[in-house]
Parts: sequence; structure tokens; C-alpha cells
Amino acid sequence: MAAMVRKKRRLHALDFIVLAAVAGLVGYVAYRVDTVLIYKWDWSAIPSYLFRWDDETATLVPNLLIKGLVTTIRISIWAMVVASIMGVVLGMARTSNRLFFRLVSWAYVGLIRNIPPVPFLFLFYFFISSQIMPLLGIDAAIRNASPETLAIAEVFFGPANLMSNFVSGLISLSMLSAAYIAEIVRAGIQAVPAGQREAGQTVGLSRFSIMRYIILPQAIERVVPPLAGQFISLIKDSSLVALISIQELTFLAMEIAISEQRFFEVWIFTGFMYFVVCYACALAFGWLEQRMGAHRR
Amino acid sequence: MSALNAIADDTAPPLRIKRKSPWWKSTWFDVVQFVLLSGLLMWITWRGATSMEYRWQWYRLPRYFWRVIDGELIWGPLINGLFVTLEIAAWGMVLTLLIGLITAILRFSDSIAARILARIYLETIRNTPLLVQISIFYFVLQPILGINNPLWTGILCLAFYEGAFASEIIRAGINSVPKGQFEASTSVGLGGVKTYIYVVLPQAVRLMLPPLTGILVNLVKHSAILSFVAVFELTTEARNLIGDTFMSFEVWFVVGPMYLVITITLSSFVSWLERRVGRSR
Repeated sequence: MAAMVRKKRRLHALDFIVLAAVAGLVGYVAYRVDTVLIYKWDWSAIPSYLFRWDDETATLVPNLLIKGLVTTIRISIWAMVVASIMGVVLGMARTSNRLFFRLVSWAYVGLIRNIPPVPFLFLFYFFISSQIMPLLGIDAAIRNASPETLAIAEVFFGPANLMSNFVSGLISLSMLSAAYIAEIVRAGIQAVPAGQREAGQTVGLSRFSIMRYIILPQAIERVVPPLAGQFISLIKDSSLVALISIQELTFLAMEIAISEQRFFEVWIFTGFMYFVVCYACALAFGWLEQRMGAHRR
Repeated sequence: MSALNAIADDTAPPLRIKRKSPWWKSTWFDVVQFVLLSGLLMWITWRGATSMEYRWQWYRLPRYFWRVIDGELIWGPLINGLFVTLEIAAWGMVLTLLIGLITAILRFSDSIAARILARIYLETIRNTPLLVQISIFYFVLQPILGINNPLWTGILCLAFYEGAFASEIIRAGINSVPKGQFEASTSVGLGGVKTYIYVVLPQAVRLMLPPLTGILVNLVKHSAILSFVAVFELTTEARNLIGDTFMSFEVWFVVGPMYLVITITLSSFVSWLERRVGRSR
């Protein structure tokens, strides 16, 4: 009875407290900005950083913020691909029979997960840009590439002059993310009941065939939802590579904020851009998961 | 007869179902391989650095931990940074719990405004990068709210970030208490607040403790991102030190293990807690 009465009343005391608190905070912020800091909001610079008018071609071309967003999405997708491959290998090594593989994977995952990403990024970047990049020969490849190949490569990896910068950021990010994916894969493999493996052994399948035809197909099904979540984390974590001067959204926002001296507007808008992308991904993945779940039921 | 059988069993050679595994499948060989691989990686690192004409100067490092001048102990930047990191984690944890608890209460409440506010807060934190949140706290909220110490801006930002996760943990903990417990305490005449304090929380806290300690580990890890703004924690001190001395490798190879020691100590505390909680149930 009491519960029914409670439901009928539309607003509670807590509603008023919360509304008053929010109103108070907004009022205080407005007072501080207007009267104490004497700050005039000016959002007019933002649109010109999204798109700018190009006189040569007489079209609207994407400017820094959109370019940064595209780089962020590009680096996240590529890092997801590379990190997934590394993560599957590491995750399988984690469940291997050989102690050696378990040890290697355990050490890698443990180190990455227990040390903040910032020192790793600096170390990785240092090594990758000075040792691995010359080894990969990307700069030389770009110089010798024909315009057509370069045009195709630019679609995938961004502008040619920033390509080696992009790739070193991509490798660093993948190496960090692989450790987290390895844990997801390990959990997925271990969630497959032991009877499945034993059944495979009984019918005389080789260890590789058991992995390939019995364990992995079942593990993948369990692994997909957390991997989708990991992709959203990756979009967010990709902002970290701004610290090693990879020209993605956060890095460019930082530069625009400094050159325009518009810290309030630029940072709030950048946060909004990330929010839109991540929230859209979260909604899409949630919808997909529901659909997949429906088909299974 | 049975005695004879027993003697026969004792004297018969044991049935060898399993062949003795070869030496290259034994545990110690795996460990040796692992040690060799680690050594190889270290050697590659050392060679790589040397080929860039890097001068190793480990001997210069100790003075950045502490120095003794005139019999007086003076902490160096690395230890000072470590203290700041621990300070951030400690205060951050207190604020995280507070924010997490308030958010959980708001989400459980009947009030629409409270639930919407909690939802907006959670989605904002979950869907934006921590680095951008820190920038917004530092460049936007700090001047607006008039906080004059970047350290507190950083602690506040981390607390709001981890508070979103803490509220999930608290919510899950409270949800895991069976409904019968609420009904039982109502039927003996306890009010809403007393039900939580005497019946629900004592049961929920045991489940919440291990993941909440995990948040403490994350606080230590994420505090490194504060080096992006002017907070003088361990990573900032390390970066400044590298700027001054150009000993990038030595400094990172020392700072990494420093973090590792803290986080692994906390993590093993978590698994100890988990085992204790598991046993008592």
C-alpha cells in the first residue's frame, strides 16, 4: 500500500534537492565565469576548425578537428586489428600446456597491466621511432611509392607526411591494448567447458584441430561482447598517444586551444566529439548484442 | 591368497602408462628458456640504446632518490613524486567512495531527477577519454571553480572518473543482497536507513571490498596521466628528470618497477581479500 502511494506522487523531496543543487552549481559557474573571470564565451572559432573553405578547389574541406577525429578513428580501428591478433596469440599462450608460453604471456600482460601506460608509451615510442621504424622502412617506401599507391595508402593510414608518426603511435597503442585483449581471450578460452576439449581428444583430433574447430569457435562467441567494449576503451585510450605527439584529436585540440587561447570552448567541444563517437558505438554494440542474443535464444 | 596378491603388487614393476617426458618438455627447461628470452630482450634494449650512442649513467641515479647532506636526509624528486602519487591515490580513494556512494544512492532512489543526473554523469565519464576529462578539469573547471592547487584538481578529476566505476561496484554489491533480507528487516520494523546500515551494507561490503581495492590500483595507475597537467607526481618528476639529465632509459626503467611494486602489492592484497571473503561465505 505504501509503495503504491509513493508511486503516485510524481516528485519527491530528493527531486527538489537534486534540482536545487544542479541549479545552484550552474548559477555559481555562470556567476564565476561572468562576474569574476569576466569571460566572454565565443564558440565562433569552432566551426572553422571543423570545416574550412578552400579557395583553390572552392569546396568545404575538413579542417583540424575533423582531421583529428578521423585520425583517432583510423588509429583505433587499426590498433584494434593489430591488438586483436596479438591478444589472441597471447591469450592462447596464456592457456597453453607449455610453461614457457604461459610465462612469456603472463610477464607481458602483468607488466602492461600493472605499470601506468604513460611510461610505456614514452619507452615504446622511443624504441619504435628510432629502431623499428627504420627497420620497417616506411619513410623510404613512401618516398619511392607511385602516386596511385600513395593515394590508396593515404585512405588507410592518413596523410603521407604523417604516416610514420601514425604507424609508431599505432604500434605503441596496439602493444598496450593487446594485454587487455589477451585477458579477454584467456577468459573466453577458459570459459569453454573442459569436456569439449576431452571430447575432441576422444575422437582423435590433433591439438591444433581441437583449438581450431572446437575451442576457438565457442570462445569467440563469448569474447565478442567484451571485445566491443574494448574497442570503445581503445578510442578513449587513443587520446594518450597525444603525449607522444601523434596528431590525433586530443593533440590537435591541445594545439588549437593554445593558438586560439580558447581553452574552455575547445576542450568542452573536444569532449563532446569523443562523447558522440563513443556513445554511438556503445549504442550500436548494445543493439547488435541484443540481436545476436535474440537469434541464439 | 590376499597376502600373496599384496606381495605381488608390491614387487611388480609399476605400470608405466605415461612415458617419461623428454628433457625439452620439463618445467626447468621452460623456465630456462624464459630467463634466456628475458636476457635476450634486455640485451637487445642495451644494444639498441648503445647503437644510438646512448651513455648509460646508472651511477648518477641514486642521488635522485635521496641524499644525505650534513647528516640530514633529503628526499630526492623520485621519492617526493612517489609520495605525491600515494597522496593522490589516498585522497582520491576517499573522494571516489563518496562520489560512488552518492551516485549509487541517486540511482536507487525513486526520484526521476536524481536518476537522470546519475545517468548523465555515468555516461559522460564512460564515453570520454580520461585525458580530455583532465584537460577539462584543469583548463575549464579549475579557473571557474577557483581551485588554486592543480593537485586537488587532479585528485578531484580522478575521483570523478573512478567514482563512476565505484558506483557500479556498490550497486552490484547491494543488488547481490537477496530481496528476502530487505523484506525481513522491514517486517521487524526497521526503517529504510536502518535497513541499509544494519542489514544490507554489512553483507554487501564484503562483496564490494575486493573490486573497490582494485579501484585503488587504478588510481595509482591513472595518476600518471596527471603528468599532462602540472601535478608533481612520480611520472612528472621522471619526465622533468629526463629533461634535465637525458637519462631516459635509466629513469623509466626505475620508475616502472616503482609503480609495479605498489600495484602488485595492492593486487595481491585484493586476491588475499577475495580468498578471505570466499572462505567466509
